[in-house]
Amino acid sequence: MRHFKNYMVAGIFLASCGLSAQKAVRLKPIRSVAIAIAEPSDICFNAKSGTFFIVSDSGILFETDHDGKTLRQVSQKDADFEAVYSDEKNVYAVDETHRNIYIYDIDTFKVNRMVTIPYGGGKNKGYEALTYNKSKNGFAIITEKDPVYLFELDNDFKTLNRIDLSKIATDISAAAYHDNFLWLLSDEDMMLLKLNPNTYEVVGKWSLPVINPEGFAFDQDGNLLITCDDMQRIYYFNNPEKT
Amino acid sequence: MKQTLLAILSLFAVSSFAQVTLLNGHHVLELSGGVSTYYNNRSLKPGETDRSKDRFKLRDAQIELEGRVGADFEYDFKVDFADMAAQNSTGEIDPENPGLMEATVTYKGFHFVDIEMGYGKLYYSRSALVPFDFSPYWQRPELTRGSIFSTRDVGITLMKNFWKQRANVYIGAYTGLGELSLSGDNDASGQLEYVGRVDVSYPARYRYREIDDRHSPIPMFSLGLNGRYANKKLPEGEVFPDQATGEYGLKVTDGKRYVYGLDASFQYMGLSAQFEIHQIKQEPQSPNDPLFQNLTAEQTKGYVLSGGYIAQLNYFIKPIDLIVSARYEELDLNDLVPGNSQRFSPAIAYQINGYNAMIKAQYFHINKEETIDPLKWDEQYRIGMVFQFK
Repeated sequence: MRHFKNYMVAGIFLASCGLSAQKAVRLKPIRSVAIAIAEPSDICFNAKSGTFFIVSDSGILFETDHDGKTLRQVSQKDADFEAVYSDEKNVYAVDETHRNIYIYDIDTFKVNRMVTIPYGGGKNKGYEALTYNKSKNGFAIITEKDPVYLFELDNDFKTLNRIDLSKIATDISAAAYHDNFLWLLSDEDMMLLKLNPNTYEVVGKWSLPVINPEGFAFDQDGNLLITCDDMQRIYYFNNPEKT
Repeated sequence: MKQTLLAILSLFAVSSFAQVTLLNGHHVLELSGGVSTYYNNRSLKPGETDRSKDRFKLRDAQIELEGRVGADFEYDFKVDFADMAAQNSTGEIDPENPGLMEATVTYKGFHFVDIEMGYGKLYYSRSALVPFDFSPYWQRPELTRGSIFSTRDVGITLMKNFWKQRANVYIGAYTGLGELSLSGDNDASGQLEYVGRVDVSYPARYRYREIDDRHSPIPMFSLGLNGRYANKKLPEGEVFPDQATGEYGLKVTDGKRYVYGLDASFQYMGLSAQFEIHQIKQEPQSPNDPLFQNLTAEQTKGYVLSGGYIAQLNYFIKPIDLIVSARYEELDLNDLVPGNSQRFSPAIAYQINGYNAMIKAQYFHINKEETIDPLKWDEQYRIGMVFQFK
């Protein structure tokens, strides 16, 4: 038995030597603020309004300023919002549990439409990330883990394709299209990933020294904001590509 | 060697272990489960000949149904068919593996407090509350595996969290017969057991986990206080149901019984540690109770103390998906009997696919044993595989 254990440990060590990963650059936050939003799960930046949208596990959509101060909010009963994306007309909030996307009018904050995108995976391993991939002219919605699936959707939320991204991270908690690349955040790996938006090849990665990073956004200057669920804070980083 | 190992591992390393969820817009039902099997080998003491524990064992064959109806109701139903098969053939309940693992409904409609009813985990002891799916071990510590105090029961729990979920409070009332409560009736005293727990974490919410699998970038701490009380004075001539007092005769008392404990946990950059200590104070109503060990009332002062502590250290080697852990445990089953027992148990777990598929190995060593609890063995090895669709 003792020999078997030795062989097993040695074998695992040898196997790991062949799996050298791309080195991640470690980012340092320049500041952080506590926010009055319980369990913030995702954030996105709206260039038109210059504000941010944040969603929470308790089904509340917030509009905030750069410091996380709430400007507006709207609540959705029986929803667990885990992802948010906004464009010039709408704010899209994703309810992980029921696989729904609530589409809010950005001006009135009223639900214009609710779309269901069926997915049979774990209740708490459903959709965690949503963004619009301009390189493919369609939405990208991503499951959290076990497995990490990226579904390519057309502009009417019809599923066009499914890509398994399980090998790039343990989980995915948020997504954004920025600077002609697709960016993903992994909560469990505490890692920001930059992907080719057409091939989904990882072209850059940065490690984040924050607990439970669940959402991220780039502001108008390309600086990075990370929302942390457990800490109930926003962390601010300089543009990672200039760090 | 490397290629052979990779080839073997690739047989198991399928990409998806996900559970299945069914939903209709109002009701969400999630199906999960798992199977685990190990091989056990014991080193017997000189003169002992019973090698019946050298065997393969199906430890778990579980199905779990977790659901949510609307915003206000959640339920959890978990059953282990391996335990049920074992109970059918032996007639004994293993408190760590009681067959029915969970059957609870939680009402969240009051908002200021959640109410859980049914049969499930008691909110007492952090070690007992850590889901076993996340453990590198094949067996929980003796102190918290359900043979000293029960870890499951039928009853009602009120729960509330504060301070961004960093503080949790649980209070509840239960039948008090632990895993045996499922037989239906209470004991002849008809009294309940009351259990409470408070835990506080800093600087963030700290889940009931032992392994820092995320390599927390800042140090995290958690401290918990636990208490429970029952006054089960049996009427003259009555006895507790068979097996109710448990392996060591400590789980219920014909009289007053207080249990209190403290637990602490720390994690940082993959390193984690837990410490937990519990004491049971029993005040049997009869001076002839076996707990008094035939001593006089002047010698016993009318009570018996039992308890122990656990210290555990873990490290998660993330680049190679390997957990290494070591645990030390000390037990004193009865303070009226001199001596205590000491156990040491290291474990290693290789994650083929996270916690959903692991190869686990555990070594047990009995450093010292109590005269009132003699064992036939002093070393034990256990190795096997866990598979879960979670």
